[in-house]
This record gives sequence, C-alpha cells and structure tokens, in this order.
Amino acid sequence: MVGITLKSVVKRYGETVAVDNVSFEVEKGELFFLLGPSGCGKTTILRLIAGFLQPDEGAIFFDERPVDQVPPHRRNTGMVFQSYALWPHMSVAENVAYGLQERKVRRAERNDRVAAALETVRMSQYRDRMPNQLSGGQQQRVALARALVIEPDAVLLDEPLSNLDARLRLEMRREIRRIHAETGITMLYVTHDQKEALSMAEQLAVMSMARVEQVGTPRSLYRRPANCFVAEFIGEANLIEGTLVDSAGGLGTVSTRLGELRATIGSRGLDAGDRVVCMVRPECLKMGTGRRNVFEAEVKSTVYLGEIEQFVLSARGVELRAVESNPGESPPGGGQRVDVHFSPEDAVVLPRQS
Amino acid sequence: MKRTRIVLVLVVVAFLAVFLFYPLYYSCREAFFVEGGFSLKFFKYLYVDTITRRSILNSLALASVVTVITAALAFPLSFVVVRYRFPAKSLLTGLLLVPMIMPPFVGAIGMRQVLARFGSLNLLLTQAGIIESPIDWLGGARFWGVVMMEVLHLYPIMYLNFTAALANVDPSLEEAGINLGSSGFRLFRRITLPLMMPGVFAGCVIVFIWAFTDLGTPLIFGYRRVVSVQIFNQVTDLANNPQGYALVVGVLALTVLIFVTSKRIFGRKAYQSLTRGAVAGSEKRPGILGSGLIVGFILLVISAACLPHAAVILTALKEEWFMTVLPSSYTLDHFGDALAHKLTLSSIRNSILYSGLSTVIDVLLGVMIAYVLVRQTFRGSNLLDAMVMLPLAVPGLVLAFGYVAAFSGTALDPRENPVPLLVIAYAIRRLPYMVRAAYAGFQQINVELEEAAVNLGSPPLRAMRRITVPLLSANLIAGGILVFCFAMLEVSDSLILAMKERFYPITKAIYELVQRIEDGPYIASALGVWAMAFLGLCLIVVGVLLGRRMGQLFRI
Repeated sequence: MVGITLKSVVKRYGETVAVDNVSFEVEKGELFFLLGPSGCGKTTILRLIAGFLQPDEGAIFFDERPVDQVPPHRRNTGMVFQSYALWPHMSVAENVAYGLQERKVRRAERNDRVAAALETVRMSQYRDRMPNQLSGGQQQRVALARALVIEPDAVLLDEPLSNLDARLRLEMRREIRRIHAETGITMLYVTHDQKEALSMAEQLAVMSMARVEQVGTPRSLYRRPANCFVAEFIGEANLIEGTLVDSAGGLGTVSTRLGELRATIGSRGLDAGDRVVCMVRPECLKMGTGRRNVFEAEVKSTVYLGEIEQFVLSARGVELRAVESNPGESPPGGGQRVDVHFSPEDAVVLPRQS
Repeated sequence: MKRTRIVLVLVVVAFLAVFLFYPLYYSCREAFFVEGGFSLKFFKYLYVDTITRRSILNSLALASVVTVITAALAFPLSFVVVRYRFPAKSLLTGLLLVPMIMPPFVGAIGMRQVLARFGSLNLLLTQAGIIESPIDWLGGARFWGVVMMEVLHLYPIMYLNFTAALANVDPSLEEAGINLGSSGFRLFRRITLPLMMPGVFAGCVIVFIWAFTDLGTPLIFGYRRVVSVQIFNQVTDLANNPQGYALVVGVLALTVLIFVTSKRIFGRKAYQSLTRGAVAGSEKRPGILGSGLIVGFILLVISAACLPHAAVILTALKEEWFMTVLPSSYTLDHFGDALAHKLTLSSIRNSILYSGLSTVIDVLLGVMIAYVLVRQTFRGSNLLDAMVMLPLAVPGLVLAFGYVAAFSGTALDPRENPVPLLVIAYAIRRLPYMVRAAYAGFQQINVELEEAAVNLGSPPLRAMRRITVPLLSANLIAGGILVFCFAMLEVSDSLILAMKERFYPITKAIYELVQRIEDGPYIASALGVWAMAFLGLCLIVVGVLLGRRMGQLFRI
C-alpha cells in the first residue's frame, strides 16, 4: 500500500488546460475524495495516477517513488471504471482472476483469492455468471472485486456509482466504506456528487476548473470553506456582500446592507477595507431575536418538507434562504416580518469572487 | 505505443505506395510522356478514334442507365422495407441480397440461353403474342441485355445504401414536418429526401463506377465497344499500342473525380441525427391489401433478380434445350464434369489459395489500421483514412492494367507468375471493407475495457490479444469472409492478370470455358452453381454474425 503525492501537476490538451498546477497528498490507507463539477479535471487526475496519461509538468509519487517512468501496467493500481469495464467475454470469476493471472499467481492460490474477493463484495454465488447477466449494482461489485483482488497499492474509483439508481447508490456507499474499513487500502475516489463525498470521505479535495480549491475533512470544508465556490458547491450558502471593517482574534466585523455582522475569518490575507462576503448556511439562520447578528426580514415564500421547512426571506433587498427543522403548526407565512439572527461561530468571512 | 504506430503506418503506406500508387503513377506517366516529352497525343486519340469514342459514350450511357434504373428500383424497395412491417419480412429482405452471390458475367452465361434469338424469353413473348418476331437481345439490343444483367446484380448495393440512409432519418424529424402541416409527397421531398441524400448519392456512385468498369458481362454478351473491353484488349499488346494507357487514365480520372465530388458534397455535412429518436417501433402495419402489394412487389423483384441464377442452374442441368422455354431433358453430369475437369480443378484450388492469402493480408492490415484510426489521435490520420479508402475508387480493371504495365519485366511479371500480384490485387481492392468491419468493431468496444486490462497488469499488446481481439472476433470473421468471397468473385483483375492456364482462378476458368464451343458453357455454368452455393453459404454466415450492421460495409 502506498500514499500518493501530486506535486504541481499540469496536463494540457492542446490549448485547454485540463489539470492546472495541482498538488495534494493522499495518506496511506486513506479514503480520499476528489469532488468537482463535470469537466473540472478530476477524472484526468485519476488517469494520470493510473498512468494512462502523462503529466506535462510536475510529478506524481507513490510514497517517495516518482512513477512517471512506470507504464500503467506496472503501477499496481486497481481501477474501478465508470462503465465498470467488465469484459463481456469472460465470466465473473474470470474477470476477477485476470489480474492474478497477469501476476503469475498459482492456480490454487488464485482460486482462493478470487473466492475471497467475491466474498468481500458478497458476489460468491454469481462467480460463473457472465457480466451481461448481472444487474448494475452487481456489476459494480464485480468491478470492485477485480480491482481489490490484486491487493493493489491503491484503488482508483472513477465515479463508480454514477450509473446506479438512488437506492442502490446509498447501499453501495455503505458497502465501499465497509470494504475500505476491512481492507484498510488507500482509495482515491472521484465523484461529482457532494452528498457521496461528504458522507464517505476521510479527506476531500474540491476541484473547479482544473484547480484544487481546498483540501480538508468533510466537516472542515462544510463549516469553513475557503472561498465562495467551495461554500456553494458543498451544501447551500447565503452570501451577504459587504466590506471588512476589522478583524481580531479570528472574528471579523463586516459592514453590510443588513448592518454590521460578526463572523469567523475563513481565509488568510483579508484586511480591513477588503470587499468580502459573509457566508452563512440556511440551517444556521434562526428565526427570532438573539444576542448577535440580528436583523429583520420579510418572508417571501415557504416550502414544507415534513422534517424541515424552507423559507425564502428578503432583508433590505438581500435574498436569503433559511431552514427550520421540526417545523411547528403555524410558522410565519408569506408577507410576515420576522426577526432573524445567526451566531458568529456559524458564519464565515470569505473573499469576494472577482 | 507511439513507435509501434509509426512502424505500422509506414508499413501500410509503403504497401500502398508500391502496389497502388506506383502502378497508377506508371500508367499516368506512360499516358502523358511520349517519346521523352510531355504530350496529350493519346488523349486526342480518345475522341479522334471512332471506336474508342464510341466505346466511351457507350460506357457512359450504360453506367447512367444502370444507375437510374437501379435507383428507381431501390427507392420503393427501401421505403417499404424501412417503413412497413409485412409477412416474412426478414426472409424476403434476405432474399433481396441474393444477386450479390454471383458475378454478373456468370449470370450472363445462363442468360445467353434465355435471351438467344430462339431462347426462352423470345419464345415466351411470341407465344404470349406480345411480339411477332424475336428480338435480337444479344445482337442489336445487347446494350439492354448488359443493362439488365447489371441492374439485377447491382440493385442490392443501391438498396442497402438507401435503406441505411432512410433508417437513419429520425422519425421525429418527419413528425416535426407533419406537425407543421406538411404531408405526403411534399413531406418526402422537403424533409425525408434531403436527409437521405448522402446515402442515395453514395449508392449511385458505387453503382455507376461498377457498371462503368464491369468487364465480364459485356465480354460474355459480346458487347465489345465499351471502355472496359477496349482496355482488356489492349493489355495484350501494351508495347505496340500504348493508347491503352490514355484510356485507363481517363477511367481513373473519372472515378476519382466522382468520388472526390461526392465526398466534397456530402462528406462534410453528413447529417448526424441530433436527436436520439427511437427508430424501433416506427414500422407501420399495412392492411391486407397493402401487405399483399408489398410482398408481391418484393417477390417480383426477387424472381427477376434470380432469373440469371435460375438460367445458370438450368444451363448446368440441361441435356436438351433448343427452341423450348425450359430445357426438354435434364442431367446432373455437368456438375460432376465441373469438378473433374482439369481446368476447373486447378482453378478452384488457385482461387481458394489466392483468396485465402489476400484475406490473411487484409485481416492483419485491416485490424492494425482500424486500431490506429479509432484508438489514436495523430496528425495525418485523416490522410491515412483517405489512402486506405482510395481502392474503392480504383476499378480492378485499372489496377490490373497498371500492374501489367508497371511490373512487366520485373520479378513480379504476371506473364511469368501472376500469383503474388493476384493476391495483392485482391487484397488491395478489398482492404477498405476489412478496415471498415474492424473499425466498426473497435468503435463498439469501450476503450475502458482495454484500459482495465492494462491497469491490472497487461502490457498493451497482451491487452489487445486477450480483450480486444476476442471481442472483435465477430466483426473480423465477418469481414474476413466478405473479403474472401469478393476475392473469389473478382473478375477484371483475374481476367487480366492470370495469363497462364495453370494460374487461372475460377472466374477466369469460367470465362475460358465459355469460349470453348462444345460443352464449355454447361461446365462453366455448373462451376458457377458450385461457386454460388459456396458464396451463398458464406454470406449467410456473415449475415448471422453481423445482423443489421451488414449494410454498413457497402457504403462509401
């Protein structure tokens, strides 16, 4: 098993830059996520690591070993393709055994390991089926077993759940986490589904337009996004524009149309006088009056969803979204004026996007 | 991988350079440079010499008439096949392709009996009281005899092109036209026809060139004043009568011009369907009367198309056939004779050897070329594609003529031993079909399947052998069989290149047998029937392997 390090990796296709100066580190045994909208370069990074592409600049390391000269078939990664890429002319067992044959593993051991891998993904009873006789979720499991059985240095998963329906996706999320916990193998997982990333990742890199925007744990990315893109890509965000008045002790004062708001300083390099936004999540906006950051707003519309109720509010021309959990019998309705507040703990000062 | 690709491309380019471009270039040089200087002397001769001028005009007329008639036949055929569901549809549409299993000149042998002055057709027409005195189909009217043979042989190619073109027209595009108030013929003219135009044009181009350069049928019918026969005659004394070069260059220029024009007009705006319409299920069910009309029409075409085959079979079976519509007594002797005759036996062996070798060459080259074209992007890939497809535009006649001219006196001299050049000629002529079959296969195989194997430890070539080739096998077998069949059917290059009897392939043997007065035609017919049975079997296998995709192989 290895850790994977990318140092200033650049990949260009003609004029377009697919990967722009990307650096990050995947620790040994970590379940690491690359999250970003489609076309942001995350699959390209995975293919660079697998060796199907060569970086134009920068280098990739498995532990301390640079792998640029290693051809893809010698990198010992196990890749799970978006299309699964199960070979239609081989049975489930033959598909899984392929990598072991390439590694000249003896027949007896090979059979044992194939059986064990199929056991891990709970597909033992399907070993003699052909891939076209399997459902999508089953194919997914076989693809996973095929990648795991060779005991790769790292497993690379390319949007593995995107072709499954919603229920199956939830089930496979749990499965992959279980398998990761059991095998403890390094996994690099590419997805555009932020729920998937939040619920599964140990570490998470958010990408946009060929760049890595932020790396961190799901909690830190959600609570303390480094910029507006990350804030809006993971979860919902109210962005209240204003100017930074002062900052001290990790807290800042932002002058906005809603008055002076106190919030946590989210990124370095912000000075008094900078144009900033105050980011606050809808579930952090509380109805009623409080000690800090109180302002008045008008309820524009509401959506009742059972366990929560969503509000669209307008405060001095600023549109805000708020969410109340466990909504009661008679919440404020359209046109009503309410007091709203939030805690400086739950809000972040971010640089304004140019 | 990059080095492998460069070597591969170089091998292909070298092969085509020596065996496709050099002979063509040689013919051009001989045609333009007379006695050391550039000259258009021979081209002047093309219209000064009355026989040559007459031949050119005849060939143009022949090809045009054949194209128009096949198109007129293929339109309604493809329309009912694509748009309607009727009884025994798959059987009937399969039978529509039957004419392809026999070169038209073999059919022509049988038809000579039918079309003779006192042959079946004239007897029938006289008995029915339609004509009073027999028409001389093989004399004054033999132009129409040749036209008929070629129409009956070539309509399947037109039909396959039209069907594919029509099936590609997204029904929702027509529905949009109907929704906006168009209907009937106007809808067809404004929407459907323009959308299927590339396919229509492609079919017309193939048929036109095929008819223009067909050698076998005019030879058998004794219709000698056409370009192909003129060229054939001049191969024998190239040294004394170099005007043949001008004729060959003229044919080449015409065919290349037609191909380039068609690519220009339709290549770029090949109408890709923007929508993903569900074409399946758009077949209409006509009423009983409609079904009857459709089935009747198709049966009529099929029976007309099978006429030459039937005539060949009857000729092979006949013991007595004089002044009667059908033979008056039958025998199976000719079939035995056909397999026992010295000439036929060696020709069967030769044909299988030549065709087999050319198939091996084509499969190897085709897979490699298709792989490079589908899986790799590099500068010049369009050029490689165009080069590989060029043989479609070069008639066998022209190629064979170029071989005789360019390689006479070298180690490859066809007068000494034509085997290498025959094999290569077959291979070059059919390479585009193989490339296309393999190309289609590669496109269907998700590249991730190969990458998965590489990821699990296979070097690229082993991944190709263990994953790609097995998945391609249906396409490769189908393409290989097609190449083999077409090589067996190859007429013009066989007639020209095989000069010594012991090197004759089947087609040349049939041609030679027909010339022999006594029982030649019957043995030739019997040999034709054997070949027909064999090729029919091969095509059935191909059809099963490729299913509906078969049509793709016959388009430009």
